[in-house]
Order: sequence, then C-alpha cells, then structure tokens
Amino acid sequence: MRAKIETKKYILAFVITATVFFGALMISGRFEQSRLAEVKSVENKISLDILSSETQFALLKESSCKVIDHSTAFSEELNSLAQKLAYMEDTLSEKNAEVVNLKKYYSLLQIKDYLLVAQVNEKCGVKPITVIYFYSNKGDCDDCKREGYVLTKLREEYPELRIYAFDYNLDLSAVKTMKSIQGVRNTLPALVISDEPYYGFKSPEDIEKIIPDLKKFREARDKAAAEAAATSTKK
Amino acid sequence: MVETFFNDILYVFLFFSLYLEVFFLITFFEERLKLSTKKLHEKLSYYPSTTIIVPCWNEEKTISKTIESLLRLHYPKNKLEIFIIDDGSTDRTWEVVQKFVGNPQIKLFHKENGGKHTAVNFGIENSKADLIGCLDADSFVDKNALHEIARAFNEDRDTMAVTPMLVVHEPKTILQKMQETEYHTGAFLKRMLSPLDAINVTPGPFSIFRREVFAKIGLYKKAHNTEDMEFALRMQSHHLRIRNVHTAQVYTSSPATLYKLYRQRLRWAYGTMKNTLDYRFMMFRREYGVLGMITLPISFFGVFIFLYNFSFIAFHAVRSIADKIVQIVTVGFISAIPRANSFYFNTDFMAILSYMFLGLGIFIIWNGVVLAEGRFRPSSGIFYFIFLYGIVAPIWFIRALINVALSRESKWR
Repeated sequence: MRAKIETKKYILAFVITATVFFGALMISGRFEQSRLAEVKSVENKISLDILSSETQFALLKESSCKVIDHSTAFSEELNSLAQKLAYMEDTLSEKNAEVVNLKKYYSLLQIKDYLLVAQVNEKCGVKPITVIYFYSNKGDCDDCKREGYVLTKLREEYPELRIYAFDYNLDLSAVKTMKSIQGVRNTLPALVISDEPYYGFKSPEDIEKIIPDLKKFREARDKAAAEAAATSTKK
Repeated sequence: MVETFFNDILYVFLFFSLYLEVFFLITFFEERLKLSTKKLHEKLSYYPSTTIIVPCWNEEKTISKTIESLLRLHYPKNKLEIFIIDDGSTDRTWEVVQKFVGNPQIKLFHKENGGKHTAVNFGIENSKADLIGCLDADSFVDKNALHEIARAFNEDRDTMAVTPMLVVHEPKTILQKMQETEYHTGAFLKRMLSPLDAINVTPGPFSIFRREVFAKIGLYKKAHNTEDMEFALRMQSHHLRIRNVHTAQVYTSSPATLYKLYRQRLRWAYGTMKNTLDYRFMMFRREYGVLGMITLPISFFGVFIFLYNFSFIAFHAVRSIADKIVQIVTVGFISAIPRANSFYFNTDFMAILSYMFLGLGIFIIWNGVVLAEGRFRPSSGIFYFIFLYGIVAPIWFIRALINVALSRESKWR
C-alpha cells in the first residue's frame, strides 16, 4: 500500500516556508531601517559639525584663520556619506522616499559646507580647491558611473580636495539655484572647477591637469613620506 | 519594470525551492531515529536466494574488481549466484572474466551486443532466484550490502525493490570530489523519499528486486538509455514499493573529466525528462502520493527552475563583473578593491532568502555526509559542489532541454 499524502505535513511545510519567507522580508526591512538610521545619524553629526564651525567662524571673525577647525577629516566624512548614500540608492532604488529625503539633506549639507569653506578661505585669502559635480542616475548618463569612480579615487587620494556631488535631477530648490549660479547645462557628467564648467568624462589625469595644485599636494606628501622613511632607517 | 517582473518570478521559484527543503527536513525529523548508520551483524532468519547480474560492455579494466567485490559479500555462498553477461565487448573483457570459470557461484554468458537492458533481461530470464539484482561493471559493493538489503526484504513483505546508497569510488579530480558531495546529498534525499514511496529511479549499481516484479510488470526496456529510471516509474505506476537502505553501500566510479561527466549527465537529464513525460499521467495525481505531487514535478520542472535561477545569478554576476572591469580600467586595480565595511554587506530580501536557502542546503549536505560516513567530515568536495555545480550543470541541462525539444536521443557514451 502506497504511503498516503499527509495533508497536515504539506500544510506544516507551507506554514514554515511562509514564516521563513516573511521572516527574511522582515529581517531585510530591519537592516534597511538600521542603514537609513546610520546615514541619518552621520548627516546629523555633519550638520552639527557645520553649525559648530559656522558659530566658531562668527565668534572668531577678527582672529587668526588657523583657529577655525574645519578639517580635511570632515571632507572624508562627506565622502563616506556619499558612498553610503549611493549604495542605498542602488539597493533601495533611487525613488525610495526616505533615500530621496536623505539625499536632499545631504545636498543641503554640501551647499552649507561649500559656503562656509568659501567664507573661511575668503577671509584667510586662500583659494579653495573645490570640485562641484553634477550627475544623473536616471539612465541618461553613461559616463556618470565612471566619473563617480574617478572622483571617489581623487577624494581618497587628496583629502585637501573638497568634492560636492549633486544629482542634477534632484527636486530641491537649493540644488536648482546651485545649478543656475554655476551655469551648468544638462550635458552630464558636468564638473565645475574654479567657477569653470567642464562637460563629459574627465579622467584623474585630466582633473590633475585642470587643478595643478593637486600635483603639489602629491609631491609634498611623497616628500614627507620619503623623509619619514629616511628617519626611521636612521633610527 | 522588467527587472521587477523577473525578480518576482525568482521569488516564486525560491519559495518553491525553500518549500521542498523544508518538506524534506520535516521528513528528516520524522525519520531521524531510523537513520542509524550502524550495520547489524546478526544472522537473518532467512536468506533469500539471489542472482546478481553484471552486464558488461568493454569493461576490461574494472570488471575483475567488481566481481571480486561480489565474491566478498557476507552472504551464504549457496544463496548467491553471479551472472557475468558480456554484451558483445570488443575489448578483452571476455578474456579477463575467464579466470572465474570454475567458481561455483559464477556463470559466464556471452551474447551479441544489444544494449545494457538486453543483457540484464537475458540474466533475468535465466535466473530462478527469489531476488534479482544488477551491478554495473564499474561499481563495487560493500561486503555487508546484500545482507542489509535482504534484511529489508525480510522485514517488509510489500517491499518489491531495494536501492542502496551510492558513494563515489575514490574521488581524485575536482569534478569527482564535487560528485562525491552530490552523491551524499542525493543519498540523503533518496533516503527521505523512501518512506514517502516517492523514489523514481532504481539505479544500475545494485538495486535488487523480488523476482515477482518482473513477472508482474515485464522486463527492462530501452527507455531513452535510462532504463533504471523507466523501470522504477513502471513499478511506481503499479504501486509496487521501492525502498532505499542507506546501510547498504555501493561504490561507483564517477566520470573524471568534464566531457565524460557531460555525456553521462546529458543522458541522465534527457532520460529523466523523457521518462517523466512518458509517465506524466502520474504527475499531480493524488493516488500516486508524494511521487506524483513532488518527485515527478521536480524531475521535469526542476530543470527549468534551475536554469532560470542560474540565468538570473549569471546575469547579475556578469553585470557586476562588467562594472568592476569598468572601474578597474577607469581608476586602476588598487582603487577598485572594495573597502571592508559591514554597511555594505548585502542584506536585501533576495540575499537573505539565498542565505537561508544555502543554510538549509548545507544542513542537508551535512546529514548526507553523516548518512554515508557515520559522522560529518569537512571536505573540499562540499566547497566544489556549492560553487562549481551551479556553473557546470547548466551545460548538460541546456543541451538536454534542446534534445528533449528536438526528441534527439542521448548516447550511452
């Protein structure tokens, strides 16, 4: 006699599978929420840092430039935040409302930082090395991904360089104003370096040519590294 | 939009696959007390007379070892006869087996080549034993295998066929090691299908039948060069019980090269699909139990699901590799190395489902190894099986699908 089908067993297997399936959905949702919260908390920290720097700047208007603490480490924070946001866009889709909000907030922080750096540098007479980058991830910019890789590499290589990346299509009035102030056309990727717009893909070498100071930074760093190596050999 | 559509199909397939894993695991927990790997050595109350047929065609290299393993079986000599049937070999097989002339347990037969099923049928027709089985000339039996199988027949009068646990013989190449784990996994699943009366193949190496089975349903047929599957399905269609005895171990040679493996698996995959189609009247029919509701649908549709999942993974892998290449070309190798950060650990729904699926799969592999070897032993085969099988299997599955569509027979070799 053939073993009979036990309906109970089929149902039990179904219930367990459904539990595992929806459990996975919930776990995944939890992870997404915790990622969003992490990005949010980094943004809050950066926001606080900017506010602190602005306040410091206002207080010390008359005193020495060196006192104002708006370090390159801050640029690294923005860099890491940009990468995390890009990852969230990839995994949660760029249309996700929470991601869009975080991106808007991030864009505002960048503009605030840009203004602060400009003020500090104007007071101290130093020309800021900033790159403003406009991209699109709507699928209409083939080179934006590559340009993103280039800028990430440059950010890591030159912490002195401040790169501000804006989604050209972001529905945020501050970003629209930024676009019109910089006079950027919808030919992406677009870079604004020293108030001059550049269109199309630019390799690290192209950018190093546009910003000759980068070479000086590298030479200075190489020299310092060589000296440090020589000192340790002597010891 | 298109991507969402394909993702949704994958979710459905993942749900079904997960369901099957859970179903087998529930069966495992029901059966776990009967899964001892210890062999009982006490004498049987009754030793059924048994004929083992060894069909051979150009097996000069392995035939002696196969026969010697049969002669070493712990089974009363007067109850066991061995038929060596040379199916018109063109090499020295017939000369090699002459050394067994005079052994009272062995009978040698020579016939014109007609295919494996004709050789086995020839043996069946010449046997008068209670139990009749077959052993492929590239396989070797464990000395207790027949004893364990006879016990299963003694314990249940309704058992009409018993299949052993197949283990890969001395795996050497990467592909053989991969197959070793595949066989372990298969052994676990077969053992789970056994109490559910849902076994769909009585493999050539050492499946043993009661003599009356042949009287009832006839002899072997050509059956798309997978007669061992057709025979099992024919038995199932007559509601004849097939059991798997995991304590009866049989070692079988496995293809060492990709081409040989491809030829063998193409024959199996093609035969599985064609035979399932031939016996499709049992599919989704409650009266054929789990066989009709699970085994046969997996046998046929499993290939499509496997290939869909493979295409999905391959598509995403190719896309991310292409992205990586663009990144390396743009900024160099060093800058393209990803930074280790838990933030970037993939935890989306699909990924978590895959981890769970893989986790349950490893649990099944683990228990397959325990069933075969008595305890878990990590081996490189497990690694190869997990990472390599999904890459090589599509080669024969795709070809088998094409052949099924064109009704093109697969050759033996």
